[in-house]
Amino acid sequence: MQTSRRQFLKLTGAGAAAAAARLEAAPAFAQAAGPVKIGVLAIRAGIAAPVGTAGLRGTEWWADRVNKAGGILGRPVQLVVEEESNPKDTVERYRKLILQDKVEVVLGGISTGVTLALGPVAEDLGTPWLSWDGTTQKGVEETMPNPKWAFKSVDNEVEAIAAGILTAKYFKGVKTVAGINNDYSYGHDCWQSYLAVLKKLGMDVKPVLDLFPKLGVTDFTSHIAAIQKAKPDLLMTSFWSGDATILMKQAAAVGLFKTMKGVFTTAGGVHDSLKKEFTPEGLLLGYNSMYFDDPKGSALLKQFVREHKARYNEYPPYECDHAYFCAESYKAAAEKAAGGSRQWPAKAQVVKALEGIEVESLSGKRSWREDHVQMCNFFQGITTHKNGYDFVTVSPLEVISTKQAMKPAGTKLFDWINGWKA
Amino acid sequence: MTGGLVLILALLAIVVAPWVAPTYYLLLMLPFMAYAVVLLGLNLLFGYTGLVSFGHALFIGIGAYTGAFLAAHLTVRSMEVFLVAAAIAGALVAAPVAALCVRYVKIYFGMLTLAFGMVFYTFVLKFYRLTGGDEGLPFPRPALLGFPLDAMPKTDYLVGPYYYYSLAVLAVATLGMWRVVRSPFGLCLKTIRDNPAKAETLGIGVTRYRWYAFMISAVYASVGGALLGPPTGNVDPTLAYWTHSGNLVFMTLLGGFSSFFGPVLGAFVFIYLQNWVMSVVPYWRLIFGAILAVIVIFAPGGLMGLFARARPAEVARG
Amino acid sequence: MTQHVVNVLLSGIFHASILFLVAAGLQVVFGVQKIFNLACGSFYALGAYVGVSAVGWYTGAGGPAALFVLPLALAGLAVGAVGVVVERGLLRFVYDRDETFQLLLTFAVVLMMEDAIRMTWGTSPRSTAGLYLTYGQVPILGAAVPVYNLIVIGASLAIALLIGWLLTRTAFGRIIRASADNREMAEALGVDMRRVYATVFTLGTALGTLGGALVIPATAAMSEMGIELIVEAFAVVVIGGLGSMRGAFVGALIVGVLRSIAISVYPELEMLLIYLIVIAVLVLRPRGLFGGAAA
Repeated sequence: MQTSRRQFLKLTGAGAAAAAARLEAAPAFAQAAGPVKIGVLAIRAGIAAPVGTAGLRGTEWWADRVNKAGGILGRPVQLVVEEESNPKDTVERYRKLILQDKVEVVLGGISTGVTLALGPVAEDLGTPWLSWDGTTQKGVEETMPNPKWAFKSVDNEVEAIAAGILTAKYFKGVKTVAGINNDYSYGHDCWQSYLAVLKKLGMDVKPVLDLFPKLGVTDFTSHIAAIQKAKPDLLMTSFWSGDATILMKQAAAVGLFKTMKGVFTTAGGVHDSLKKEFTPEGLLLGYNSMYFDDPKGSALLKQFVREHKARYNEYPPYECDHAYFCAESYKAAAEKAAGGSRQWPAKAQVVKALEGIEVESLSGKRSWREDHVQMCNFFQGITTHKNGYDFVTVSPLEVISTKQAMKPAGTKLFDWINGWKA
Repeated sequence: MTGGLVLILALLAIVVAPWVAPTYYLLLMLPFMAYAVVLLGLNLLFGYTGLVSFGHALFIGIGAYTGAFLAAHLTVRSMEVFLVAAAIAGALVAAPVAALCVRYVKIYFGMLTLAFGMVFYTFVLKFYRLTGGDEGLPFPRPALLGFPLDAMPKTDYLVGPYYYYSLAVLAVATLGMWRVVRSPFGLCLKTIRDNPAKAETLGIGVTRYRWYAFMISAVYASVGGALLGPPTGNVDPTLAYWTHSGNLVFMTLLGGFSSFFGPVLGAFVFIYLQNWVMSVVPYWRLIFGAILAVIVIFAPGGLMGLFARARPAEVARG
Repeated sequence: MTQHVVNVLLSGIFHASILFLVAAGLQVVFGVQKIFNLACGSFYALGAYVGVSAVGWYTGAGGPAALFVLPLALAGLAVGAVGVVVERGLLRFVYDRDETFQLLLTFAVVLMMEDAIRMTWGTSPRSTAGLYLTYGQVPILGAAVPVYNLIVIGASLAIALLIGWLLTRTAFGRIIRASADNREMAEALGVDMRRVYATVFTLGTALGTLGGALVIPATAAMSEMGIELIVEAFAVVVIGGLGSMRGAFVGALIVGVLRSIAISVYPELEMLLIYLIVIAVLVLRPRGLFGGAAA
C-alpha cells in the first residue's frame, strides 16, 4: 500500500523523505504483544437496532468467556465498538477501525445496503471482515464471488427457501397465497424465492396479493383489510422486527389466522414479543439460525440462554449466534494459523485458516464455506402454546441446513431451485 | 487582513496534509470537501437569499445517483463526466422544483423543499430495478482527468489523486461562489433577503432572482453529491432522507450562515466532531442535539459569529 | 363487498385518528407560536413508550384489564408535561428570532429525544402484550372490527370536539385565537404571552404523547417511530393547511383513508400517493384546504 502512495507523492513533486517519515505503517511484530483489538460494527438506531444489540451481546459474551480462559494465543481480547448506520458513515467507521484503531479483524455488518459498500472496502484495506448478517448480494445474485478478506453471512433468502420447503410439508392443501413483506430487497427476494420453491415443490398455488409496506411502518390495519379482501389460504411474511409483532397483534384483533395459514419466515428475531394472547398456534415460525429453546441444544447454548436471561431479562434471538460464530471462528482460525506456536499469525494466514473452518457455535456446528459464506442450520417450526413462557415456541422443531436451502457457490438462485429433483 | 491569512494557512494545511496527517483523517477530508461544495451552494439560499431549504439532500442524491447511474448503465468512468452530468441533472430537476418553491418563503419554502426531497427518497426506494432500492448502486472508482488509476489501492487513490481532485473542485467552487456573492447579482440577493418589497421597487425580479439562487445552489449540491460517491463506493437512498437535509442546515448554522466561509468551517467541524463523539459515546445524537440547541440559542452566528464577536473588525464578511 | 368497504374505511379512519392527534398538536403550536414543531413525532414516540411502561405497572399492580385505557390515557397526558420543559428550557429563548432557528431547535429536540428514549427503554420493540384484544370485536355490516380501534377513533373524535369547544367557546380559546391573529395586540390588551406560549406548547405536546399512548396497545413502540410519523403528520397539515384545526381533521382523514384505499386497490402507490397529493396541494393551493383561518 505504501509504495504506490509514495510514488504518487513523488509524482506531485514533493520529497520521498517526507513520505517515508509517515508514522503509519508500524511493523507487524510491534503489535504482537498486548491485547488483540477486535473491531465491532453494531447498529444502534432504527428498525434494526434490536438486531445490532443482539449481535453485540453475543460478541461481548464471547469476549468475556475467551478472556476468562486466557484469551487468544495468550493475548486478551479487546473490543472496539463502532456504530453501523448508513453506508457512507459506516464505511468511514470501518476505515477508522482499521486505520486508526488498527484492529486485527472487524466483526459485524447487518444491513445489505451497508455491507454491499463494506465488501470492496474490506478487500482494499486488507483486514479480515466477518459479517454477522449482511451479504454482498445484489438481490439474490452475488457481487463478490471470490473475496479475499470479506466473509459474508448466509444468503438473505435462505429462510424463505426453508419456509417454502416446510410449507410444502405442513400446509399441503393451500391454493392461494398472499405476501406482506417490507419494501426493500430482503422483502422482495424472500417473497420471490418462497414462491419459486412452492412452485418447484409441486404446490399449485396462486399468489393473490403482494403487499410491500415501507420498512418502519407501525400500523398494518389497512394492509390487513386488503388481505381480508384477497382471502388467501395462506399469508407469508418475512417481517423480522417489531413490525412482525404488530402484524401478529393486529391480525389477531380481526381473527385473520382463523381463516388462513400463516408463515412468518423470520419473526423469531423478536420471538419473545410474540405473546400467546395474540399469537395463535399452528403458524410456521422461523428463528433464523438459532433457537433458544432447542431441545437438542448444547450445554453452551443452555448456558448462554441462562446468562442472557439473567443479565437482560430477555431470551436471546438468532443474531447473538451469527455474532458468536464470527468471533469464535476468528479465534479458532488464529490458533490454527499459529500452528501450535505462540507466534501471532499474519492477517493473510488467518484468512487462509478461516476458509472451510468449522467451530462449535451456540446453535451447533457452523462453518465458513470456501467462498467465504457462512454455513449453519436454520430452525423453524409450528407455533405452540405448550411451554412455560408467556410467548409462543415451536413444536415440532425442524432443522434445515444451508447445505439444503442455500444455493451453492457460483450458481444462480432461480436456476438452482429449478434444478432441484422434486 | 487576518481573515486572508487564516485562509491561506488553512489552504496550505489542506495541501500538505497528505504528507503528514494519518490516513484516516485524510479520508475524512473527502466528505468534508464534498459537503463544503454542497454548503457553499446551500448558503447562497440560506445566508444570502434568506431561504432555508430542508430538502437539499435531494440534490446530493441526484448528484450521487447520476454518477452511479452513468457507471452502472452506460459504463462511463470519467469523474469529469460525472460532475458535469451531475450538474446538468441537478439543474434539470431543480428547474421545475425551484420554480414551484421560490413562490413561497420562510416555513412554506422549507416544507415544500422537504416534500420534494421525500418524494425523491420514496421514488428511489420504490423503483428498485432502476435505482437499486435500499441496496443502492455501486459508485465505481472514476478516472481523473482521463487517467484510469485503477492499479492503485483504493485508499491510496482516495488520499492521493482523489484528494487533490476534490480540493481542486472545492477551490473552483469557492472562487465561483465568491464571484457570485460579490457580483451585482449577489447584492440583489442580499437586498431581497433583507427587504423583498424594497428589492421589488428597485426593479429586481424577486421571484426570478430567488429562482436563479436556487438553481445555482442545486447545481452545487449535485456536484458535491457526485464528489461524495467515490469515497463510499456506493450510493443509497439515505443520502436523500430528510434528516440528512436537516444535518446540512445544522452544519451551515454551526459554522455560521452569515459568513462566506462559515458553512465550510461548519462542515469541517461537524465531520471531525461527529467522528470523535461517535467513538467516545454510543449516544452521539443526544450530544449533537444538545450542541445544536446551544448554538441556536446562544450563538446563532455559529463559530464564525463567535470569532467575529471576539475580533469584530477582522473577519471578512461575505 | 360492504364488509370490505367497512374494513378499508375503518382501518383508514383508525390511522387517521392517530394522525389527527399528532397533527393537531403540530397545528395548535404553529397556529399560535408560528413554530413548525419537528419534534411532534418524538413526543408521539415518547407517549408510546411511557404508555407501555404505565400499562406494565398497572397490570403488574393487579389493575383490572378492562380499565387499562385509563392509566394509559393518564400517562399519555401526564408526560405531555415534557412540553413545559422544552418550551421554558429551549424555545422561549428564540421567539424573537427567524423561524428557521425555531425549526432547527425542534430538530435538535428530535435528535436528543431519539437517544433519550433509547437510553431509557433500550432498542427492543416494546408492546403491551394482549391488552389490545381485551375488548374483543364487534360486527359492523359483516366486518369484524376490533373494539379498541373504535375506542381510539372515539377518543380522537372527542378530543377534536373538545379542542373545537375550547377554542371557540371559552375565554382561553379567545385568548389563543387573539394571540394567533395578532400577538402585539393581545399583549397590549394585557395577555401574558409567556403563559399562553407555555400552555399552548404543552397542549400541543400532550396531544402528541396522548396519541402515542393511545395507539400503543394496537402496535409496538420502536425508537424511530417518531421520525417515521413526522413525515405523515407533515403531509396532513400541508393538505389541511398549516395552523388550522379543521385542516388537521380533514387532512388526517384524507391521508388515512386514501392510504388505506391505495393499499387495497393499488398497493404500489401507498405513500407515494400521499406525497404527490402534498405537492399538488402546495402547488395549487399552498395554504392548504383550510389555511388562513388561524387555529
